[in-house]
Amino acid sequence: MPPWTGNAAFPAEARRFQLAGAGGRRIGEWMDRIETEHHDGTSDAAPGGYGDCRRPGELAFGLFLLIASCGLFWNAYGIAGFEALSSPGAIPMATTVVMVITSLIVVLRTARLPLTPNETLRRDILPLTVVLFTVLLVIYGVLLKPLGFLPTSALFLVVAIKVLARRGWGWTILISLGSLLLIWLIFRIVFSVLMPSGIVPEAEFIQIFRVMFSGGATK
Amino acid sequence: MTVFLDFLTVFTHPQLLMLVGLGTFAGVYVGAIPGLSVTMAVSILISFTFSWDVYPAISLMIGIYMGGVYGGSRTAILLNIPGAPSAIATALDGYPMAKRGEAGTAIGVTTVMSFLGGFVGIGVLALAAPFVSDFALRFQPRDYMLLAVLGILLVGSLSTGSLVKGIFAGALGIAIGAVGRDPLTFTERFTFDFQLMQGGISFIAVMIGMFGVSEALTQLHHVNKDAVRQKIDRIVPSFATIRKYLPLSLQTSSIGVIIGALPGTGGDIAALMAYDHAKRVTKNPDRPFGTGAMEGLVAPETANNAAVGGAFIPMMTLGIPGDAVTAIMIGALFIHGLNPGPMLMIDQPDMFWFIVGALVMANCFMLLFGLTGIKLFTKIVEMPRSVLIPLIFLLSIVGAYAVNNSITDVYWMLGFGVFGYFMRHYGYPLGPVILGVILSRLLDDNWRRAIISEREDLGRFFEGILTSPLSLVLFIAVILIFVSQTPIWRWAKARVLGKQESI
Repeated sequence: MPPWTGNAAFPAEARRFQLAGAGGRRIGEWMDRIETEHHDGTSDAAPGGYGDCRRPGELAFGLFLLIASCGLFWNAYGIAGFEALSSPGAIPMATTVVMVITSLIVVLRTARLPLTPNETLRRDILPLTVVLFTVLLVIYGVLLKPLGFLPTSALFLVVAIKVLARRGWGWTILISLGSLLLIWLIFRIVFSVLMPSGIVPEAEFIQIFRVMFSGGATK
Repeated sequence: MTVFLDFLTVFTHPQLLMLVGLGTFAGVYVGAIPGLSVTMAVSILISFTFSWDVYPAISLMIGIYMGGVYGGSRTAILLNIPGAPSAIATALDGYPMAKRGEAGTAIGVTTVMSFLGGFVGIGVLALAAPFVSDFALRFQPRDYMLLAVLGILLVGSLSTGSLVKGIFAGALGIAIGAVGRDPLTFTERFTFDFQLMQGGISFIAVMIGMFGVSEALTQLHHVNKDAVRQKIDRIVPSFATIRKYLPLSLQTSSIGVIIGALPGTGGDIAALMAYDHAKRVTKNPDRPFGTGAMEGLVAPETANNAAVGGAFIPMMTLGIPGDAVTAIMIGALFIHGLNPGPMLMIDQPDMFWFIVGALVMANCFMLLFGLTGIKLFTKIVEMPRSVLIPLIFLLSIVGAYAVNNSITDVYWMLGFGVFGYFMRHYGYPLGPVILGVILSRLLDDNWRRAIISEREDLGRFFEGILTSPLSLVLFIAVILIFVSQTPIWRWAKARVLGKQESI
């Protein structure tokens, strides 16, 4: 039996040994005492996942990573094979081997853990809003070029804020268009970021503003 | 003399001064608003400041960095949610204080102590970096390679979550960084014969996806959670309080700088170490630790801000980032055509001294904004998430698009956003991925240089490691991290400790 599968309690144990030496033992205990909002990695400080049980879908994700790592390893082998230690494929092969090994360990460990008793995939991992927003973002990407930045963003913000805030249309549209205008002014003028203009003649607008503000002084 | 003038660049240009101030202000709030993180803000800002000159862009980002490290403590104290990893330890005693109704005092002491710690860090950076960079010129390619591996491993093992997942994340980052045509031989790597992958994956798209979109997707779980209201009174602490904790703060500042200066370890580790130190040296705290001891607040806050200066040392002198935020700062320097490393210090010392100046300024602004505007602060923190989250998505998309004006980057960003979302939920740390992407090129180049100079002979390569003291130390450190994670370590420790007890 490989050393890392020594006993099922090891992951929780490993967490405590992260900082071997001064103070390391206590980090695990500390983390347990801080409210981390549902263990889902809300802040960078507290990545999700539990040490001693498996969340719904965790094993499937681990398997996906394992298969993807194997695929990448095969691809890395195809770069130059075992031709030379300094070949362009050397580091890719080394890293993908590491990926295959580590993802295999993760899968083996995860498979041994009991499932969390009161979590479901639909509610805790992939609620409807998350799926909906992913779809909205993809639609945004598709529409950005043909429609232009301003109309696409306006649509996106109105739909998104309506879904999340569940308030009247008037409030929703006012807030979305107001914040969009602010963002556009800041990024177009302060950061001079160029977004696809699409069907809105942005450049002409800006020209009109420029003429207005310079008051015709500079011809 | 020129050094002094470069140092003063920030102070003599009102525009730069204003940008540092603006950045710090924004940083404090970004750090304090749950759901916004410094890594997110800096990675989105890189693409927006892309068309600017170097100085203004760096000024803004340094401000955000400094302000954000401090701002994370606010939510730790008020809501028991650390706004940044470096504020984990702050929550331990800060939140109990807030529960007793001493939130104002806690915030005031935190601010002043962060300021003190920040200065110690910057002072050490200014004094030590020139020497380190001289020393770094003697580094061999293999030393750089080992340092890069060490950095990724340290981030993986010290951030919470298991080391195995951390190593996986680091390796994944290196692989992502290798996509595209190899710069030395022009061989295609991981392109799967797609035309659009030949140029590689834009690391900004990866960053914004991982830290912007995935974070915002995660936040969707908590849309309806109300912000907690806290009555905050007087916050400027008395001079006597400061003087009482000055000795402790100087000790913990030095811990912060040293930990920050190690590649791969940043403010979060420094803060936890400092907390532990405070616990050991404080004989008679006014209150027990964990129930609102002032020492437990002073120690982590000085240390994490001191670590900012410390983290710039390996970043500026070796090009090896300390943590996810410094990794992103390196990305920012890359984008502006600068290549952090010993040569930067020799070719463009003005850049280094400018950064030191900007850090000093950001630190002062932090004190100013930390002690004022508390009314405005409570208003901004209460901004509804139902508006905030869609805006983060919008900014992420604009940011990913703006760098190369390419829709492909937007799709990469969305892909990594969704992927990062799952990684967060299943306990894979994201920091090592970014570190891996940033260090991929350095690792690859230096490995190939090292092994070619040893005529492709692994035996000679290891002989080289064993005969050079520096390489040996680095190599042993890498091995130790691995061993400390296996049962062998526990077994050895149990034996050693067991023996001592029996004697």
